[in-house]
Amino acid sequence: MEHAYLGIDVGSISTKGAILDKQNHILASAYIWTEGDPIGAVKKLVHLLGEQLDRDRYKVVAVGTTGSARKLAGTIAGATMVKNEITAHAVGTTAFYPNVRTILEIGGQDSKIILVENGVAVDYAMNTLCAAGTGAFLSSQAKRLGIEVENISEWALRSTHPTPIAARCTVFAESDLVHKIQMGYPKEDIIAGVCNAVVANYLNNVGKGKKIQPPVVFQGGVSKNKGVVAAFERTLGFPVIVDENGHLMGAIGSAILARQSTKRCVFDFGMEDMEFTTREVGCGQCSNNCEIICVYRNEKLIDAWGNRCERGQINVK
Amino acid sequence: MKSALDQRKRCALPRYGNYNCVFRYLLEKGVNVKCILPPEITRKTVDIGARNSPDFVCVPFKTLLGSMIEALEAGADTLIMPGGACRLGYYGELHEQILRDMGYEFEMINIAEYGDLGKNILKIIKRINPKAKVSAFLMAALDAVKMLDYVDEITAQMYQNCGFEINKGEYKKAYNRFLSDMFRAESRNDIEDGYKRVKDAFAAIAIDKPEHPLRVGLLGEYFTIMDPPSNLYIEEKLADMGVEVWRWLNLSNRQFKENSDRNLHVRIRDLCRYDMGPTSTETLWSAKKWAEDGFDGLIHVKSANCTPEIDLMPMLQRVGQEHKLPILFQNYDTQTSDVGLMTRLEAFYDMISMKKRV
Repeated sequence: MEHAYLGIDVGSISTKGAILDKQNHILASAYIWTEGDPIGAVKKLVHLLGEQLDRDRYKVVAVGTTGSARKLAGTIAGATMVKNEITAHAVGTTAFYPNVRTILEIGGQDSKIILVENGVAVDYAMNTLCAAGTGAFLSSQAKRLGIEVENISEWALRSTHPTPIAARCTVFAESDLVHKIQMGYPKEDIIAGVCNAVVANYLNNVGKGKKIQPPVVFQGGVSKNKGVVAAFERTLGFPVIVDENGHLMGAIGSAILARQSTKRCVFDFGMEDMEFTTREVGCGQCSNNCEIICVYRNEKLIDAWGNRCERGQINVK
Repeated sequence: MKSALDQRKRCALPRYGNYNCVFRYLLEKGVNVKCILPPEITRKTVDIGARNSPDFVCVPFKTLLGSMIEALEAGADTLIMPGGACRLGYYGELHEQILRDMGYEFEMINIAEYGDLGKNILKIIKRINPKAKVSAFLMAALDAVKMLDYVDEITAQMYQNCGFEINKGEYKKAYNRFLSDMFRAESRNDIEDGYKRVKDAFAAIAIDKPEHPLRVGLLGEYFTIMDPPSNLYIEEKLADMGVEVWRWLNLSNRQFKENSDRNLHVRIRDLCRYDMGPTSTETLWSAKKWAEDGFDGLIHVKSANCTPEIDLMPMLQRVGQEHKLPILFQNYDTQTSDVGLMTRLEAFYDMISMKKRV
């Protein structure tokens, strides 16, 4: 049996999974919507991956999780490596593009920039207080215009005169957009304008003060949007690489991280049939009132977190 | 209600980092008033502060207000608001107005009103307690400065080493013991004893520190950086990852030692020629110094929309680029979550440790 490594990336909007072999070949991959149910999404993802994988030939010996629900996903999938998405993206991308200097990433709720030198991340920034210009903004504006998110690309590329849209803040961008719609601007110009606004916002907020040097790799869900890619290329003045697996890069990175660590634990595809529940408990020992999350597998407590200090510690036997 | 035995004024300063032990010593020993200690800053403090504050004001304003409310609830009848070199200097009046509108009755002593602290300190003492003796105050002030010095020294030592202890939690235990000793100190001897005890305890802790550990410097805004609940215990979190955490900015360095080192700005003249705010010179100077010392990373800590610190960011970025030093810019708001901070810190740690290995 050959060894394989599973990476799971549970984001705010979508859940991604990839199984790699030792040579970084993708043996199985899946991309589904989280839909506010990370546990259900992980189970569904495992089911989809299990169908694709040749289970007589490969054995998954290590699991890595990343994304905003990495802890929960890690607990229910029995992960050997739980890593933040910034590291996972940097590791995944440099494995496929060793020469990359700048990684741009726009996801559903967050956006980040990672500067790389000689294959190692040397600086990064991530949006802190504001989720302006992320995938969530694009999809809500697409909905307003009556277009599916997936079709933004073709609409945007059709435009020859993108409408200028105030890009500093998405709340103002939205009012500006409504105004432009009511003025009678063509839909494709408005959509191209929204794509430009996302790029301007990204470069002004997250990319501020960072020297963006080629080769640039653009990834995250928004990288699938050709309108935004074109806007990036126009603004930066050089080509932007979008990998066909760019949306999976976090999952790929966490699979690589799981492989690099020495911890091993054979993954059980049977978890899709297990029952996972969570329960929130208020600590109440002090006025911080920490909310402690307890995770149960088949009604047995397997992990708990959320306490700020040892007073709220719940020990799992 | 005052007891028949203790007719002293019940003064309170809002919670500020680990310094309330110093304020207490100074007030009780030097000015002969009773010092009310507000409870530690928690989520609730920030919430009641934020609820009664203008929305766009910085987080320290809200935290201080919350702590003042808690002090009044704990029985204080006099609030002392220390001055500040930024907008903080104007906050006292606003805090007082908000608290009066909320219906609290108290006496407010706003130190910012007195201008130069050195010249007016006796006026302030007489205002707090007209019967206070100048000689007693001077004696207590000497002790309090010593205590302040010790608190800062021990805190620095703690976070530079506690990430490498073999038995987790020993440093923190000794440190907490030291702080409670300082809170209960009644004399110079008590201070010296507590200091000696923690020094001995620290010396006895076994640590396993590599020859070249990861070193991260913290710099940034006056309040947030020195108050652990406000910065979500960033020093502790970083140290727990196995990092030497350095912070130059503390009360003793800023208020007492800097005055004997007035030439800080000369050393950063290539970066900026004017003093830009309460801590700008120090922030830039320490960034430059640490960059030259070969630190692995810097973290810039500030509350959201802190103007003086925002003004500094281009210069910090220049220092980072010139020395190839990663800088994490961390903003704090009342909504900043532990998890979000942890994600960024972990990523920062991964990055600097991978960079160091290459």
